[in-house]
Amino acid sequence: MSTGRRDFLKTSTAAVTAAGLGGCERGDRSVSEPRTPRRLHRELLRAIGDAVLPGAIGADGREKAIVAFEVWLQEFTPNAELVHPYGGWEVAYGPEDPSPRWAEQLDDLERLARQRSMASFGELSRDDRRTLIADAIEDAGPGFPTPAEAQHVAVALMAHYFRSTEATNQVYGVAINKLQCRVITTAGEKPPALGG
Amino acid sequence: MTTIESDICIIGSGITGILAAERLSELADADIVMVEAGSRSTPFSNRPEQRRRFIAYGENPWKDDHLDDQGGYGLMYRSMVVGGCAMHWDGACPRFSPEDFRQRSMYGVGTDWPISYDDVEPYYQDFEERIGVAGEQGPPEYDPRSRPYPLPPLPLSYNLIQLREWGANAGIPFWTQPWAKATEPYRGRAGCQRCDTCHVCPTGAKYTPDVTLDRLIDDGGLRLISGTLVRRLEVDDASTHITRAVAADRHAPDESVEFRATTFILAGGYAWSPHLLLLSSSSQFPNGLANSSGLVGKYMTGHPYMSAQIELPLELYPGIFSTSSLLSRMHARPGPLDRYVRHDLRIWNTTVERQARFRDATGVLQFGDDVMDDWRARTKQATARVRGYIDIIPDRDSTLGLDASARNQWGDPLPRIEFRDAPESVALRDHTHETMRTIFEHMARAGNGRVLSTFRSTTMEHPGGGCRMGEDPETSVTDSFGRTHDHDNLFVIGAPTLVSGGCANGTPTFCALSLRSAEEIARAFPSR
Ligand SMILES: Cc1cc2nc3c(=O)[nH]c(=O)nc-3n(C[C@H](O)[C@H](O)[C@H](O)COP(=O)(O)OP(=O)(O)OC[C@H]3O[C@@H](n4cnc5c(N)ncnc54)[C@H](O)[C@@H]3O)c2cc1C
Repeated sequence: MSTGRRDFLKTSTAAVTAAGLGGCERGDRSVSEPRTPRRLHRELLRAIGDAVLPGAIGADGREKAIVAFEVWLQEFTPNAELVHPYGGWEVAYGPEDPSPRWAEQLDDLERLARQRSMASFGELSRDDRRTLIADAIEDAGPGFPTPAEAQHVAVALMAHYFRSTEATNQVYGVAINKLQCRVITTAGEKPPALGG
Repeated sequence: MTTIESDICIIGSGITGILAAERLSELADADIVMVEAGSRSTPFSNRPEQRRRFIAYGENPWKDDHLDDQGGYGLMYRSMVVGGCAMHWDGACPRFSPEDFRQRSMYGVGTDWPISYDDVEPYYQDFEERIGVAGEQGPPEYDPRSRPYPLPPLPLSYNLIQLREWGANAGIPFWTQPWAKATEPYRGRAGCQRCDTCHVCPTGAKYTPDVTLDRLIDDGGLRLISGTLVRRLEVDDASTHITRAVAADRHAPDESVEFRATTFILAGGYAWSPHLLLLSSSSQFPNGLANSSGLVGKYMTGHPYMSAQIELPLELYPGIFSTSSLLSRMHARPGPLDRYVRHDLRIWNTTVERQARFRDATGVLQFGDDVMDDWRARTKQATARVRGYIDIIPDRDSTLGLDASARNQWGDPLPRIEFRDAPESVALRDHTHETMRTIFEHMARAGNGRVLSTFRSTTMEHPGGGCRMGEDPETSVTDSFGRTHDHDNLFVIGAPTLVSGGCANGTPTFCALSLRSAEEIARAFPSR
């Protein structure tokens, strides 16, 4: 048995009994390759977030969702090898870095806002912002693409949030906590109410 | 040329090769070498991080798990890696049914295997104990076994409890799928924490063959030579004995490595095993090795499936434990039949129709709270996926051949696979689909639900065949132990020896057969 597995067994069983959560979120992250900074215009992204993310999660919830999207983008690897689909003999690769396109779209929204309303995008009402965004979206629907495949940055931001554990919990009103490692013994119980 | 000598040379480090090696090391006092074309993939310590990236970006968590120039049309999987495909399998572990081994005598179709379920049963049990299968005894008439599973079953999720009741209301008994996932610490593995990414298990609860391989290497049970592709097997001029396997070092492509051994075991899986036999043609064996019957690369098998998404008036919570599922083998053991239709059934809770969408049903864009409201309204119903693997009879011309138009860096032609059903299965295809559609409709009605959609697969899951076993050297490539009829020191183990593909995930059967082969192979060596 490799040392890693042996150590994991020791630590994880202790963690499961103590906290009901495993140590599976830990791990060796040192092998990740250094990435070049990849940032979108901070204020414009937040102006979009206010328009397209749910009001029900509040300003804090939206800020959290936007920061999570920024981190996601920062750690994105262009043209990465994707998981091999079952039954496929061809190896698939993910998209190129979407951030140059998305950055341009933010600039376009800002320019359009100034052209049409003589105001910056962030100063427009939520409805006016939505109108400008809706005009710019070319993504087909109805379902969300993966964030990396989204043509428009607004769709990417929504896709990132609406696919998240938080959004699923919000919509069902209970703590399903999908993709979170936890004990199997509680699997048969109805998930507890949020905040309960 | 480097020469590596051993008593037993195993080609391929997949789950079948590794479990056979483990059994051999217990029984035989023999020096074992295992050759693997691929390299080591993501180490255990890095799997949590690769899991994170798999969730966030859909990236392949198994780094360097395939060889760029070893592909081929019709392959089911690309992995060539230490541990083989089961490094990232899901770990579903149903057995075949007694009927799978007796199609001809029970139903007048296909070909009987030279062995029965009873012959294989002890090896299924051995397999389940070695890898730690968690399971529940199903109704004995549908789930015959001699002993309990080594581990208690995965608990049913809140969703599956309700879906099992739905199945029972439809008159179909469902029980928990057996899984190669430790429900409690087992032989050095941690217990399952329902992380729901079994493709890359961050806890090590799901069995992966590297666990056994590392233990064997640590204990001196075998030597692993990885990154080394066997390109041909060669035969002694004066006899039909295999004398050596000639390989290329992938890190030094001009370097040849030869493996000399008393016994050769081909454990390259359903594609690469028949492929290597065909590649090893010579003036003495112009059709390749072990091929006096002309059946190497023939009777390729597997199973297609049909599935339905069924909407039910239930409040379920997708994500509690999405990877677990329910199994029924009722239709795999149907008793006497007028027309041959056999399949299993599985149920999952899915998110189909229960996901957020940015255009509503009329195609209008929606944002923010409107997305939530539209989504929430659709969570008041649930979707169950029901799927059946269908037993089909493989045609003789269901073929793996050499594709002269696609070659690897050494110029060797790559495999090309074209599956084909036998005429008796083709004739039954529409009837089979109609029968299954009727079951799906019946289940939907029993739950006051409706069928949203159905799907028929075109691929062959859990492929096997290409070196089918049998008693007659004219109609088979190996005997029931995988010993090739033409070369008494060459064994083909696992998937390629299957006569037919059954209607259950194949790996438990591949491995049970390999363990049975290992016992036979060990007889030629002093015992431990
Ligand atoms: C995503 C996924 C999910 C799956 N889930 C399930 C499941 O839930 N249940 C189930 O029963 N099955 C499942 N399977 C199938 C299962 O993984 C395979 O049936 C099983 O791993 C096959 O094992 P094997 O030993 O026959 O072959 P392999 O795993 O293919 O191993 C053969 C090894 O031999 C090496 N090799 C081949 N030729 C040569 C050569 N000439 N020289 C050197 N090395 C060579 C290869 O590189 C390879 O590593 C799944 C597969 C995939 C891809």
